[in-house]
Amino acid sequence: MDGRETLRLATRAIRGHKLRSALTVLGVVIGIAAVVTFVTLGASVKADVVGQIDQSAANNIYLLSGPEGGDGPPQAAGPVYTERDLENIRDIEGVDTVVPRGGVRADAVSARNGTVALGANSGSVTATTPAAFDRATFLEGERFERGQSEVVVNEQASALFEENLSVGDGISLTLAGGETANLTVVGVVNRTGTESPFQSFSQQPQFYVPTDPYYDRVVELSDGTEQRAYPQVTVVANPAEVTATKERIEAYFPDSDAAQLQRPGFEPSARTTGDIADSLEELVDRLTRFVTGLALISLLVGAIGIANIMLVSVTERTREIGIMKAVGARNRDVLVLFLAESALLGVVGALIAMPVGVVGGWAAASYADVPLTFVPEWFAIAIVVGVLVGVLAGLYPAWRAASVDPIDALRHE
Amino acid sequence: MPVGPLLRAVATDALTDDETDAVVSLADVSKTYELGGTVTALDAVSLSLPDGSYTAVMGPSGSGKSTLLNLVGGLDTPTSGTVEVDGKRLGDLSEPERADVRGRTVGFVFQTFNLMPRLTAAENVALPLAFQGVDPAERIDRAKQLLDSVGLGDRYDHHPPELSGGQRQRVAIARALASEPAILLADEPTGNVDTDTGEQVMGLLQEVNDEGRTILLVTHERAIAEHADRIVHVRDGEITGIEEV
Repeated sequence: MDGRETLRLATRAIRGHKLRSALTVLGVVIGIAAVVTFVTLGASVKADVVGQIDQSAANNIYLLSGPEGGDGPPQAAGPVYTERDLENIRDIEGVDTVVPRGGVRADAVSARNGTVALGANSGSVTATTPAAFDRATFLEGERFERGQSEVVVNEQASALFEENLSVGDGISLTLAGGETANLTVVGVVNRTGTESPFQSFSQQPQFYVPTDPYYDRVVELSDGTEQRAYPQVTVVANPAEVTATKERIEAYFPDSDAAQLQRPGFEPSARTTGDIADSLEELVDRLTRFVTGLALISLLVGAIGIANIMLVSVTERTREIGIMKAVGARNRDVLVLFLAESALLGVVGALIAMPVGVVGGWAAASYADVPLTFVPEWFAIAIVVGVLVGVLAGLYPAWRAASVDPIDALRHE
Repeated sequence: MPVGPLLRAVATDALTDDETDAVVSLADVSKTYELGGTVTALDAVSLSLPDGSYTAVMGPSGSGKSTLLNLVGGLDTPTSGTVEVDGKRLGDLSEPERADVRGRTVGFVFQTFNLMPRLTAAENVALPLAFQGVDPAERIDRAKQLLDSVGLGDRYDHHPPELSGGQRQRVAIARALASEPAILLADEPTGNVDTDTGEQVMGLLQEVNDEGRTILLVTHERAIAEHADRIVHVRDGEITGIEEV
């Protein structure tokens, strides 16, 4: 029997039971739409995360601490990078700038028109060096100078006060020890460029003060000397050799004070903006695979629905199968006819599922507050999956149909 | 109808003579079923049908007459013995080859019509051709011609439930003839229609036979069996006599 005739007979059989076929298709629609929804959401989240990575941070290498063996995210796990380490790293080939960074514990910030409690968020006062600032990021003013009672704030910090802070304003910082530091605002930035590869990071209010004189975390080395040490360092590398520079820094780590000062189980970690982007993508991919896997369960239920209805159909149409065999249908013809019918249920399900899945993806992306990203190849994949689900679900029922004994079938009521 | 040993011997001799131009021949064919115990539907039956002959197999229900018909039509396979149809030993054929015999060499007409309920009259008639890969336009043309010839020229697009019993049986006969088979197998073709309609159906079968096709008819009614050229009597799976009409 030719393909067109097979398809025509299959279509007619499906139309013969409209409600039943519609409900079976609905099962497939839910399954495939759920998969498309989560794949779309995953792609949208990934595109959003990757889009957040600041391209101007491409040359940055972030030195932090991470669990040994590289399992798990690096973090600022305590002051380990000493002044001596900074000097040595500065001498490594390919290193342009070394920017240390450390938190200054402070309870509150007061300006002439109010006081803002920093409380638990004391990390928002950051001690760093003038090199942390890119001139292009200044909305107003300029960087602070070493050893001066000066502060640079970002836009968000400036907006904490009823009357926005601007250059020339004086603020006083209540330090954790109870002392007060009086500082003059010298610059307002929209971001620093070396703090994190994520633009959204700079949306937190930040106050930047010079490490000298406000940062005083010192550590004692095994030789008894004391050194100022920072939990985190950003290295700006020569754009032509970011990865090579990172490798050279890693090669220096075994000799570094940072390695010696790590908590047990931790080691110094150097990661480029590219590394961070890769591991974030990997993370989003994993989450996407996980939720898509959950959606696949509903697709499996849809497939079972097809198999179930096809088995019912084979039983109901046993007599018709007998008739077809009596007029010359081969087992293969019967098999193909029933397979076509179940494949058709799968394909129709997939076709309906695609727009539903895209709407679902749009809704999920809106809920997750990320812009929608389409994955066009999933339209093709969904159709293939639909056919596959239909064929696989129909295999056993179709085989049952093909192996019906024509004599019994013709006797069947 | 009791048949004496003499008549039986004559019948057997006649079979031997006919074997050369036989289009169907059964040799020592037995069919048993395992249904709680062994049930013998046919017991070492030998019979041959000359080309162009019109034979009725008559017997009470359970006599094995339908089994005989199904074996000739390749719907069933014998437990022992050989069934040869149009030069082919059915036992030697593969499943697709036997399907081909059902589709091309023989045509079935059943008591319960056995039409596909969702197909129109024309599509039902064209169905055997669909399995032979005949072009759709061509097979529908052929189906319409056949429906015309059985007097259903105005019923092409009717579905079986919209047709009377007699009309359905005529559609079934048209379908049985669609692939120009050498042999028409009819299993109680008048069993589900009234007497007048039954006569029309038998008239159609007579026309089919007049065209030169071999007919094997199964019935339990003497009046119907008498339409044939000869009547084979079966009882309890055995041929009890052959009667020329």
